[in-house]
Amino acid sequence: MFPASGGHILPPGMSRRGVPIAWRQLSAEPAKLAVSVVAVAAAVTLVLLLSGLRRGIGEQATLYLDHQAPVLVGQEGARNFLSQRSVLPEALEARIARVTGVADAAPISQQYAMLRLHGGRVLAVLIGYDPGRGGGPWKLAAGRAPSGPNELALDRVLASSHGLRAGATLEYRGVALRIVGLTSGTNGFMTPLSFATRSTVNALSRLPGTATFFLVNPEHGVAPEVLVRRIERAVPGVSARTREALAAEDRSVFVGAFSGPLLAMVAIAFAVAILVIGLTVYNSTAERSREYATLKALGLRKGALIRLAGAQAVALALSGTLAGTLLAFAAVRGISAVAPRYLVAVTSESVALIGVGALAMALVAAFLPSRYLSRLDPASVFRR
Amino acid sequence: MTVPLARRQLLVRPARAFAGLAGIAVALLLVLALKAIFAGMEQRLTAYISRSGADVIVAQQGVDTMHMTESALPAGAVAEIRRVSGVAEARGILYVSTLIERDGKRAIAYLVGEQGPRDPGRRAIVIDRSFGAPVGSIVSALGRRFRVVGELEGTASIANFVAYVSFADLARALRSPGIVSYVLVRAAPGVAAETLAVRVERAVPQVTASTREEFLRSERRVVGNMATDVVNGMILVGFVIGVAVAGLVAYSATLSQLRDFAVLRALGLRARRALVLMLAQVAATVGAGLALALLLVWLLALLLPQLSASLALVVRPSDVAQTVAVAAAVAAVAAAFPVIRVARIDPASVFRR
Repeated sequence: MFPASGGHILPPGMSRRGVPIAWRQLSAEPAKLAVSVVAVAAAVTLVLLLSGLRRGIGEQATLYLDHQAPVLVGQEGARNFLSQRSVLPEALEARIARVTGVADAAPISQQYAMLRLHGGRVLAVLIGYDPGRGGGPWKLAAGRAPSGPNELALDRVLASSHGLRAGATLEYRGVALRIVGLTSGTNGFMTPLSFATRSTVNALSRLPGTATFFLVNPEHGVAPEVLVRRIERAVPGVSARTREALAAEDRSVFVGAFSGPLLAMVAIAFAVAILVIGLTVYNSTAERSREYATLKALGLRKGALIRLAGAQAVALALSGTLAGTLLAFAAVRGISAVAPRYLVAVTSESVALIGVGALAMALVAAFLPSRYLSRLDPASVFRR
Repeated sequence: MTVPLARRQLLVRPARAFAGLAGIAVALLLVLALKAIFAGMEQRLTAYISRSGADVIVAQQGVDTMHMTESALPAGAVAEIRRVSGVAEARGILYVSTLIERDGKRAIAYLVGEQGPRDPGRRAIVIDRSFGAPVGSIVSALGRRFRVVGELEGTASIANFVAYVSFADLARALRSPGIVSYVLVRAAPGVAAETLAVRVERAVPQVTASTREEFLRSERRVVGNMATDVVNGMILVGFVIGVAVAGLVAYSATLSQLRDFAVLRALGLRARRALVLMLAQVAATVGAGLALALLLVWLLALLLPQLSASLALVVRPSDVAQTVAVAAAVAAVAAAFPVIRVARIDPASVFRR
């Protein structure tokens, strides 16, 4: 009996390097091997891009909050920043400012803005802020920040994808808003940011004298969590939250809505990959049944034969995963160049996860050929 | 007597044939399922307006959607609209996207402040069944508590659901006295919605009046605009995977049948006929994969709503047509590899082996 391990067998008199049977069988048809690797790679790319898109949506949803004060105060019951209405009288500012530990409280009026651009509907988040106070744009790519009525600063990516420049006007809710500046670092798939003065936003909503949130900076040495408790105790009818708590809720709302369909797509992609690997290895095994029967007749044990098929499945899964990962990174670069409003965040965690997934794929895919091999009669080689 | 060569060659390895069509089915399912999910979302997001009974929807100037949209009109606009000739009824509603909570469970809802027969009463709420708040239970929204007095069905999507409260309660919570978000207008008998919309826009300043169909079209466009790139990306990936799987199956089958083809050619089968034979196998595999994908998506559309009320899949004929086009493209590209091999077969090769 020959010593056998994985895809190598050692006939008497051969060197320890043996014959790389698994590799030879796989590479016998390079075109078929290439198509199989492409199919697995496409499935892996899909999984990485979809999970990256899901993560990216979460990251983009908190773009505004990530640049704001550590504590936000909204209407009682307010738990997130983007998906829930909050309306407070602006006069509350003085009351919040009197709470011990508050350095500054700046009102903002924020809302979704469904812009009509080129006959399509483009969703943006419109932030109304008081010039000279917090809440306005933090980085300008062109022009200036809005300071007067009906002035608007628009995200640079959103503006360029619709041919808008500083100086152009944009019709929104019956009012012509003049674009005075373009902001950068404010881009998002569903939540690109735009800025106007708070009085402009309040006038559009016919809600003068109101604010949706107050951005609160604590005094030096005061922890945001402590300030949250103090504000809720001192000011009735409000909900104080740390920036991180609100951001986590926003991420959960945005990512949660997409999770079901995205996970379904990921599951389908995994099924495709398993099917492709299984199909390739099964085909290769079935086509070489005579070779396998010969090996069995020569004394190669059932376990070694199964390892041979398994090694091919693992090789396909890993090479497909490697190609898919490289393709995914190339696609991420392409997407950020061609469609920068999409953030696809492919992380090392998701790559590691897909590596584990690939091994799982290989194990499942090797099941069919291993059943076939275990039933293969060694005597069949002499009957042909 | 004829021999069904294509079928016999295809079914010589049933497991391989089935695995191939399953792979193609799954790839096409990627395209179909995603489109069905977005179509279902569109249907649910337009449920409120579809069921409102309004012929014309009046909003703030420049506004013709409701989903993730802000609209504010002075309450006086309702009376002005009622005076327009051809208006049978006009009722103002308030509308806001907010979080509804019950026992630690939270979900986003489109909360509508209703007047008239749909007004559920003070501190009362009618809520979609999917949220799981039975009649008599208490939920909170906008810092206020509401008693559930009724349940709605079929308004929940993966993003949110619809709930009604009284107009007065919502106006207080939003600190917006004297404002309505939209005015829902019913036309008098014999008055066309299009005519009425034009009359309303002429008579009332700074409003946009849309017929229900126009409004629904705009709503669907919102979902469409958001989904277009993702759907197109998925179609591309589905196409690549479909081509790879179909190509793999066709190529493997052709390789194992090269000798058969050579024998057939030596027996007098013309090259063109051999190609037709091979193409028939690819077309049959892709066609069967398409049929399986349609069956699977139909089953999903049937089963998923039973598992979760917010999961609605709608399979539209236009989406099926698009998937058929993708399948045809898959078959055409996948057939390219084996076509080259079969076209190059030398009939004499069978005698050399």
